[in-house]
Amino acid sequence: MMTLILVTAIGVAIVIGVVLLVVALRHRPGTDKKKANTADQAYNDAAIEEVSHLFNEEFREELRNRGRLRFEKIINENAMFLKQDLDMTIAQVNEQLKTEIGGKLEKEVDNYGKAMKDAQQLALDALQRSVTAVETQRAELAEVFKKDLEAREAALLKAFEDNLAKIVEYYLLQALSDQLDLRAQLPMIIKQLEQNKQAIMEDMRL
Amino acid sequence: MSDAPNATTWKLPPTLITRVDLARLVREVEAVDSELEAQKVRSQGQEAYRLPVMSRGLSDFTELNAIDLTNDQLRMATKEQLRALKDKAPVMHLTFAVEAEPEVLQTLVAWIRENAHPQGLLSVGLQPSLVGGVYVRTPNHIHDFSLRTILQTKRDVLVKALEAIR
Repeated sequence: MMTLILVTAIGVAIVIGVVLLVVALRHRPGTDKKKANTADQAYNDAAIEEVSHLFNEEFREELRNRGRLRFEKIINENAMFLKQDLDMTIAQVNEQLKTEIGGKLEKEVDNYGKAMKDAQQLALDALQRSVTAVETQRAELAEVFKKDLEAREAALLKAFEDNLAKIVEYYLLQALSDQLDLRAQLPMIIKQLEQNKQAIMEDMRL
Repeated sequence: MSDAPNATTWKLPPTLITRVDLARLVREVEAVDSELEAQKVRSQGQEAYRLPVMSRGLSDFTELNAIDLTNDQLRMATKEQLRALKDKAPVMHLTFAVEAEPEVLQTLVAWIRENAHPQGLLSVGLQPSLVGGVYVRTPNHIHDFSLRTILQTKRDVLVKALEAIR
C-alpha cells in the first residue's frame, strides 16, 4: 500500500514537472507574437507526444518498481535508524528513568527515614513523658501509701496502747482468778481495812 | 450473876461470824432453856440442873461472857438479849472472789469486833470476777478492795510501764 502511494506520488511529480516545462517554454519572450505562439503550440504538441512516448506503461512500471524498491530501502533504513534511535532513546529513557526514579526513591527513602526518625523521636519523647508521668504518679502514690501506712500504723499503735492495759488486765484476771489464795491476801485485806478503819468504825456504830 | 446481862458489852466468840450463826446460837439457847425448864418441871425444883451438851459456839459465848445458863432469870434475859442482838447487830458484807475459809473469816470478824464494833457480824458473798481482794459493804458505805478495781484504777501505771518498755 505504502509502495503504491509512493509510486503514484512520483508519477504525479514527474507529470507536474513536464507540465511546468511546457508552460515555461510557451511563455518564453519573442519578437513575433504570432510566430511564437505557433512555435509554442508545436513544441507543446511535440512535448505531449514525447511525454506520452517517454512515459509509457513499461517505463511507468519500471519507475514504480524502482520507486518501490527505493522507497522500501529508505523505509527500511529509516526503520533501522528509527529502531536504533528508539533503542537508544529507550536505553536513555531507561537510564534516565532509573536515575530519576532512583533519585526520587532515594529522596523518598530519605524523607521516609527522616519521617521515621521524627516519628521515632516523637514516640520516644512521648514514652519518656509517659515514663516521667508514671514515675511521678508512682512517687506520689508511694508517698500517699506511705502516709496512709504511717497513719494506720499510728492508729493501730494507739489503739493497741489504749487497749493494752485492758488486755493485760483481762489476762491477769483470767490467769489469776483461780490462783489467788485468800489466806495469802488476808494481810493485804487487813491493811486496806486499817486504812479505812475510821470510816468503817463510824458506819458500823451508827 | 443474877444481874441482867448487858448485851452492848458482850463479846462474841470468833466462831460466831454471821447472823445465821447468831440465829443458831439463839435457837440453841432457846433449846437449852426448854430443856432446863423441862428438868425443872420433872424434878419440881428438887434437883440441880444438868446442862445439855452444847455446841462449841454456845460454850465459847457463855464462857467468854461468864453467863450461867442454869440461872433461870439470867438465861431468860440472855435469850431475849440475843434475839434483840440478832436483829440489831451491825453487819458488814464481805464479798470474795473465792470461797473464804473459816479461819480467814474468824480473823476478819475479830478485826471488826476489835476495831469497829464489838458485836459486828459478817455477811459473806462470792463473786469470782473480783479476782482477788475483798468487796466491803458497810451499812452506808462501799469499799472496793478487789484486785479488779485495783487493776482498773492503776491502769495508767500499767500503761506507763508498757510505754517505758516500748
